[in-house]
Amino acid sequence: MKTPSNSVDLALERYAHRITTRLDEGLAELPYQVTEQLRAGRMQALAQRKKTVAVRKPVSVLTRLGHSLALGGGPSGWGYTLMSAIPVLALVAGVMVVGAQQDETGVIEIAEVDAALLTDDLPPAAYADPGFVQFLKTRAAESR
Amino acid sequence: MATEQELSAFLKSVEKRAFKRSYYHVRNEESALDIVQDSMMKLAQHYGDKPPEELPMLFQRILSNCTLDWFRRQKTHRAVFSSMSEFVPAGDDGGEFDLLEALSLSSNGEQTGSAEDTVRRAQVFHQIEQEIALLPTRQREAFLMRYWEEMDVAETAAAMGCSEGSVKTHCFRAVQALAKALQAKGIEL
Repeated sequence: MKTPSNSVDLALERYAHRITTRLDEGLAELPYQVTEQLRAGRMQALAQRKKTVAVRKPVSVLTRLGHSLALGGGPSGWGYTLMSAIPVLALVAGVMVVGAQQDETGVIEIAEVDAALLTDDLPPAAYADPGFVQFLKTRAAESR
Repeated sequence: MATEQELSAFLKSVEKRAFKRSYYHVRNEESALDIVQDSMMKLAQHYGDKPPEELPMLFQRILSNCTLDWFRRQKTHRAVFSSMSEFVPAGDDGGEFDLLEALSLSSNGEQTGSAEDTVRRAQVFHQIEQEIALLPTRQREAFLMRYWEEMDVAETAAAMGCSEGSVKTHCFRAVQALAKALQAKGIEL
């Protein structure tokens, strides 16, 4: 059995819903220009949301590209960043090793030439003498 | 997280009611449209990544705040809010008005409502709108959120920043005032 206050509450609710039903009916009669402006406002709001997402995405993609030289996304986090840095570090280390080896080979070749010159019968100064150079050329031509 | 489609559907479902609610407050079509657009932008910009079920509450709060901001910008909010007390019906405390009688008369009216023609319904609609616009601000907010937006008492209280008891009181007084005013005009719902 309902108490008097509950009866009033129920009657109030029913009455309120009858009013809001009328208000809902009125929504269908909103002028065209109002509904169009509401639609345009909605579109603008949604575009603004897109903009927020668009700004966020490229930053993460670029970060990943910088480390892994890969296209597209993938797992994120520090572990992934460190893992993707390993190939780059290996490449840099390889280039440094090859460079050091080439430098060493060049030094050895120069040392061998220097040693041959110094241990030869002729003194190194003889090769700087124009007359001796001419003598070598003439001799080489005759031997042919 | 709400997808773009969910956000779009939500905004579409609330935009007309939001416009009307703002219009009842500011009584200016352009300003009401600005307030609704502002509210939609703020929701999309700041809360577009929230779950869909959180959007209604967030939107109601944003709409209320945007309406309040509009009054602040107009530098008339003090005058408006103070003048709102003038619209509180003289018989707000009960008086000679018999609420149950008015509500029961309305119940009888509902049975014959289907016989009203379109013109009559439009007239009644405009009378209702006028009476809603004349309600005190807090009563109107509570009434529209509670019954039109179909929020429960707790949600309405959270959106309005007041207690649940205050919401019930505002709603009771709003319905009482509307019933009294519409009865006086011979309108039965």
